[in-house]
Amino acid sequence: MTAHTPGGEKTVPPDNSDSLASFKEFAGHRGDYYGRTFLRIQQAKLPGLHLNTSALLGGFLWASLRGNWLLFWIGFATDMIAAVNLALVHKYDLAAVQAATDGKDFLVQRYDGWSDAHLQAGLVLLFAGRLLLGWLADRLYYHHYARWRVNRSLPSGQAIRRLGIGMLAILFVAPLTIYRASQFAPDQRSCIKLAHMIQDGQQVPLKDRFDCWTISEFPTLVWLPRPLQYAFPRNDDGTRSIVVKEPSGKRPVNLNNWLSEHIDQGINYLKAFYGWLFDGVTRWIRVLLNAVEAVFVGTPWMVTSLMLILAAVKLAGSRMGVFTAVVLLYLALFGFWQTAMSTISLTVAATVICVVAGLPLGIWVAKSKVGAAVVTPMLDIMQTIPSFVYLLPAVAFFSVGKPPGILATVIFAMPPMVRLTALGIQHVPASTKEAALAFGASPRQLLLKVELPLALPSIMAGVNQVVMLSLSMVVIAAIIGAGGMGFIVVDALARTQVGRGILAGIGIALIAMMIDRVVQKVNRL
Amino acid sequence: MAIHERQVIEVQGVWKVFGERAEEALQAIWQDNLHKAEVLEQFGAVLAVRDVSFAVEKGEIFCIMGLSGSGKSTLVRHINRLIQPTHGQILVNGQDIGALSAAELRALRATQIGMVFQNMALLPHRTVRDNIAFALELRNTDPFTRHQSANTLLETVGLQGYGDSRPSKLSGGMQQRVGLARALAADPVILLMDEPFSALDPLIRRGLQDEFLSLSRTMDKTTVFITHDLDEAMRMGSRIGIMRDGEMVQIGTPEDIIIHPKDSYVADFVQGLSSLKLVFAHRIMEQPEIYEKNHGSVADADTWPQAHPKANLNSLVSLIVGQQCPIAIRADGKLAGIVTKDALLKGIQGQSP
Repeated sequence: MTAHTPGGEKTVPPDNSDSLASFKEFAGHRGDYYGRTFLRIQQAKLPGLHLNTSALLGGFLWASLRGNWLLFWIGFATDMIAAVNLALVHKYDLAAVQAATDGKDFLVQRYDGWSDAHLQAGLVLLFAGRLLLGWLADRLYYHHYARWRVNRSLPSGQAIRRLGIGMLAILFVAPLTIYRASQFAPDQRSCIKLAHMIQDGQQVPLKDRFDCWTISEFPTLVWLPRPLQYAFPRNDDGTRSIVVKEPSGKRPVNLNNWLSEHIDQGINYLKAFYGWLFDGVTRWIRVLLNAVEAVFVGTPWMVTSLMLILAAVKLAGSRMGVFTAVVLLYLALFGFWQTAMSTISLTVAATVICVVAGLPLGIWVAKSKVGAAVVTPMLDIMQTIPSFVYLLPAVAFFSVGKPPGILATVIFAMPPMVRLTALGIQHVPASTKEAALAFGASPRQLLLKVELPLALPSIMAGVNQVVMLSLSMVVIAAIIGAGGMGFIVVDALARTQVGRGILAGIGIALIAMMIDRVVQKVNRL
Repeated sequence: MAIHERQVIEVQGVWKVFGERAEEALQAIWQDNLHKAEVLEQFGAVLAVRDVSFAVEKGEIFCIMGLSGSGKSTLVRHINRLIQPTHGQILVNGQDIGALSAAELRALRATQIGMVFQNMALLPHRTVRDNIAFALELRNTDPFTRHQSANTLLETVGLQGYGDSRPSKLSGGMQQRVGLARALAADPVILLMDEPFSALDPLIRRGLQDEFLSLSRTMDKTTVFITHDLDEAMRMGSRIGIMRDGEMVQIGTPEDIIIHPKDSYVADFVQGLSSLKLVFAHRIMEQPEIYEKNHGSVADADTWPQAHPKANLNSLVSLIVGQQCPIAIRADGKLAGIVTKDALLKGIQGQSP
């Protein structure tokens, strides 16, 4: 008990025998040391540079003895990385000797440099890692003790059998890892060649086979016969027929080649027999895009810019009008007018499709359990897949150009529209809906007069998200020929014309800021 | 038949069990006479209303009083079928509302039944006027008519000039006036009031209660009024139904309930109530013959203070203060009874002779 007396007299030190006994019970071996240390930790009096010498010297083996697996993995990882670096020193030394005998001086120099670098890295890692472990040891071990107090089944004290687990881990991990570091691993192609040689019944050195199985790419376990080749030539009367051909090669293929060939053939089949569907979609997107482009691209720049500035002033105030004017001036002065307007057209077209399709979908998700069960996983997938990947199916089914670009954009940008619409509707208070029903609202009236108006802020936030996501995706879609500002950036990247790329990038950023600010202002009204 | 015509709402043997296995649970309740807790344990179902029957007459204010969780809000939602009964029947104007189609039900809700909610549940994106005219709008009434009747109602509830404000700009009491006006907009026969004044502070609550009472007298609506506040129930209700755990424990006039509580639960409830304004002379008066037998002649009864049998104890106290003689109670000019000072004091204590 702390007896605190006023007047600055010395306070009686607390009786700590209880704590000490518990610490000692936990630590077992070397209980005095751990009791003292833990007491200091509890009193927040542990020196900043306190190190546990056993942990410093014993490394991860000390941690495994003590049964603290976090410390074990920290120690094991640092020691392992150090060991790999030292093994690499050996590997490059050998390579340097080999290069010297081959008379390739530039290689000798390079390998020697690498060897030195790995030596330094290995030594630094070894010492720094051990110091870290020594420093962490008592601090983390104290947390281990705190958990053990709650759950007595956790490992405590020191036990030789736990050392066995640590040793086993080393036996399993260390030799191969260090072997991999000390060897030049064969690449995948040479391993496939090796596999073919084995299939042909040739003799192969055991070491090569071992290397291919252990330290190269994951070995090819599954070999499948080459799939048949399908073609869908057009007949004279316009119909398609299916022609089957033997595969070109005889050798079996791995899983990847097998499945990707099947996917290709599936897509070809769909394109051959359902082409009208994809052509129809493309045509309707074209129609929409043409209508939008007529406004932005087809109108003289004076008219368009005046319209945009007036719209900004009306929707978001005079300051936004000035900002819009500045942005448009930048685009015009640097010769981006047509391309910028083309980008804005693409964005507007994609946004229109997203809103028109996303709003009913969102309502469906909010209203129906089936809708939520069907749409939500699709949205999850759409949002998880990186934006680049959307370009592939778009190209596969709709070829290149603006319509597939817009399609990829729509898939990328639609999820927030659906989600925020559903969220907005679900968050309409049940009591408000009940009141509307009590006054005789039909389901349609409930939706139109209560739910959608109350969900409007959420829906508008969704529209804002859609616009911004569309803009970013439209730029990426330039890779598949959607044109616009993105094309300038892609082109500049390909030709390493940094300056041109930067100017176009600034233009895109300015367009994004302009649209974002205006839409946000509109939302707040 | 004549009685039937006067009964606007009839609730007949209504049971409500919430949960996936409601039907099954109800069968078990009937067979094994299960309690609420047992139903929850065995079927995961909540027994909210247990065999409730009552009828509300035209122009009456029927109060349903009970603590939270007693099923009163659930019960009132059966009357406009916001909740379907698991078993039982509800008649509105003699018509079984369980048999109505969706469209007929919407018409009934929009034209016959107005509802006021505890949390107002106004639409924040509409003006006060558009909120009031909501029921009319749902029936596709033209904007002009909507405007006119909303303005009339704004005046009725004393909110002139607030028609173009948003509900959020109004205080809680004013918002509930809007809620009331909205319920009255379609000129319904029935008003369902689900704890309308519970969320308001006491002074405003009292003012609104008085206003509603006087409104109700002039408009002749049949009202079902839900409350958890016994004082409010006594003030508002022409009759009161007391609910506990989904059951209707007692139905009666405020006076009935104070003087003859049916069980200890109700007695506990009414214990703290003052009977001054809720008990009337005819309850405590002695018949003239009995008075003559016990106390003496009633010959000079004409000189005593005079009161009507419906006079409450409070007014009797005012009459008798400073007097030595008892009070003569007269109905239609005839001597109906006599109230002595002792009887009055006992009556105030809550005892009837």
